[in-house]
Amino acid sequence: MTRESTDYLRRLKTALTGDPATPLAFLCNFEVETQWARHHIGLPAPAAAPTEVVQRMEELGLLLAGPGDVILVKNAPDQGYLRYLGEDLGIGLPAVLVPETTTGDRSTAEDLLNSPQALDRLSALGRRGARLIPMGTSEFEEKLAVSAQVPLAVPDAATFERVNSKIYSRRITEELGLPPVPGWCCETLGELRHALAQAAGLPGPVVVKDAYGVSGKGLVVLDTAAKADRLVRILERRAARTGDDRVALVVEHWIPKRADLNYQITVDRRGGVRLDFVKQALTERGVHQGHLMPADLNDDQHALLRRAAEEVGGRLAADGFFGVAGIDAIVADDERVHPVLEINARFNMSTYQGGMTERFHAPGHVALARHYPVRSAAPLVFDDLRRVLGPLLFPASGGRLIVTCFGTVNIGAGNAGTGDGTPHQGRLYTLLTAPDHDRLTALDRAVQAALAGVIQPREDS
Amino acid sequence: MNRSEIVAAVVRAVGEVLQRDVPDVTEDTRLFDDLQLDSTSILELLMAVEDTMVVEIDPEGLDMDSFRTIGTLVDYLQGLVDLVSTGNAG
Repeated sequence: MTRESTDYLRRLKTALTGDPATPLAFLCNFEVETQWARHHIGLPAPAAAPTEVVQRMEELGLLLAGPGDVILVKNAPDQGYLRYLGEDLGIGLPAVLVPETTTGDRSTAEDLLNSPQALDRLSALGRRGARLIPMGTSEFEEKLAVSAQVPLAVPDAATFERVNSKIYSRRITEELGLPPVPGWCCETLGELRHALAQAAGLPGPVVVKDAYGVSGKGLVVLDTAAKADRLVRILERRAARTGDDRVALVVEHWIPKRADLNYQITVDRRGGVRLDFVKQALTERGVHQGHLMPADLNDDQHALLRRAAEEVGGRLAADGFFGVAGIDAIVADDERVHPVLEINARFNMSTYQGGMTERFHAPGHVALARHYPVRSAAPLVFDDLRRVLGPLLFPASGGRLIVTCFGTVNIGAGNAGTGDGTPHQGRLYTLLTAPDHDRLTALDRAVQAALAGVIQPREDS
Repeated sequence: MNRSEIVAAVVRAVGEVLQRDVPDVTEDTRLFDDLQLDSTSILELLMAVEDTMVVEIDPEGLDMDSFRTIGTLVDYLQGLVDLVSTGNAG
């Protein structure tokens, strides 16, 4: 076991700061996309408060950061979980900085801006050469960098916002000559009407997506002309009410697919591009469920992804971006690869798991990163869970379970059976590794069985 | 339109979105946990409700609390229907 930084982290630091030893202050602001979306008119949707699950996912930074780094989190991680990471897994842990003033309805960057003591500590780190590394930059992280005098290790908010639009993804895919998913970019209601009229002449459903939609939200599938008419009607009413017919949407053909893919590139400050990994993404009704490694692809399919990685990375660099970008792709039923479904030029779930896969995913073995939806009757501490999972947490011939985020387990604790219908309940984020697919499946089942003893899994688990 | 008619309209719309029958539902049935609707279905559900009830819904005027159960969504729609009735009467 080693308590040194992973090669993955050292490469990231080198790409973003030029030095593999630069101390970083990680801010895992999963809600950043919501900030970018505020400036664009998407699909109409009910108001949604920030979800606690997203806020608690910020402790994923523990997996990526190393000794000498710090993670900035709204909630202090469970002490038992920290012992597990440090003692059982042998991970060199970062320092943890929790702002002294927190509220549930604002981002951690805003909490820090309202916490003078935490700001002072962050400033002290800045004086020792630390850089601030948010998952993506919004105006809040820009303000934090200025207030704490800790320079950003990544681009400014305007650059992030520009390159994270699905309209941007579609346009550069076409410009680079990569095989696009058939579809249209729509920036006015008139363009949307035109796109839907053209789509009506082609077989199969279409999906309309917000240019700034977050995972599993901001999209609607239209499989009949009546549904397309309904959507246009609702948008026309909104335009009439606001006097603004702008939209930021893409319309795409729903392609029957064999697999979803996710690959990650890192673009360094000089424009160099590295393909970090390719994973098979598991989704259910458009909502991300996990990743399988390695992805089941042939040599030609891999080659196309390598070309796409190089070209998209080069274009991002030319447009002022440097940092990590996750790219979603699909393998159609006919095995054709559409290498750019969308570009998420920010940290992704997989970004945080990179160090863990380097440590625990042995060559030739298979791995599954997934979460188990859970609902506990009362709040749990990690040591409760540790007793339940027992030997599954240790290396064995049948594989091993690694807990990658515990903070999300207690979301909705105590709500079991109250019928509140909250869509987000507790989640246990994990990485499973095994020598082969059969043993991986058996391990997955064993984890579900173990959890069923104490935690009531949701019906859709 | 009375409350039981609104409930029937919502159940029809849910069935259309899920593309299956949804028997044995009550006002307490939870849209996400019991019927497995998800966040991507909300706009489609509201569009379907508009057609089955012949009302105009502004999705941005709702919050997620209205989607807890069949009953909470019916509460919101009942309010809309009452508003229209009052407007017509006036």
